[in-house]
Amino acid sequence: MAARFEYRQAEEIAAAFGRRGVRYLFLGKSGAILLGYPDTTQDADLFVEKSPGNGAALVAALADLGFPLTEVHRREILACKDFVQIRYGPFDLDLVFAPDGIETFEEADRRAVTVEGMRVCHIDDILRSKEAANRVKDRESLPRLRSFRDWLLGGGK
Amino acid sequence: MDTDPSREWIEEFEAAARRPLRERLKYAFIRTRKPVIDDEPFRSFDTMEEYRRWCEANVPSWLGYGRTL
Repeated sequence: MAARFEYRQAEEIAAAFGRRGVRYLFLGKSGAILLGYPDTTQDADLFVEKSPGNGAALVAALADLGFPLTEVHRREILACKDFVQIRYGPFDLDLVFAPDGIETFEEADRRAVTVEGMRVCHIDDILRSKEAANRVKDRESLPRLRSFRDWLLGGGK
Repeated sequence: MDTDPSREWIEEFEAAARRPLRERLKYAFIRTRKPVIDDEPFRSFDTMEEYRRWCEANVPSWLGYGRTL
């Protein structure tokens, strides 16, 4: 079982992805938590730009972070499949190349914010993604997350 | 968008905002084994719809990964 995700690892992602030029955004509950949302989650969700160049940069950055990717798995990431789940690295990671509810990476990147060096989706994109996914666990979490959105954009801090 | 005016939630948001990010992350990320999902070291799906269908067919419904319980 991988270690629990920590601040240090979020920093390492930002640093490694920055060095390799990976275009990424924290998404999902992990993204909301980085924005200040008080809740718990198990893994980091990263929205990564779907392009051959970004796929190659991502594979290199994951190797830098200590993910011992096999050749087969490297190829799957290079193919930029819509959803990739990695459970054999230093921490659990979900790579989302085409999240529900968000049209393009470019648009999300324009709206995104930087939190202590980490690129994070705008709270509205996190909400849109969860609304579009429409899973039971998303529906359960949406009322509180919407309340957080209103608090945050209302100048909550 | 819908707003839940719950005072308790607002107090939680305000309390979280008073803590540094490093401390918040320390308590936000937990580690428990999720059945099925954590059973394989690597999975990939061509489309999100394919992933959603796989979750509904394979992941225990009580984990909430499906669209219905």
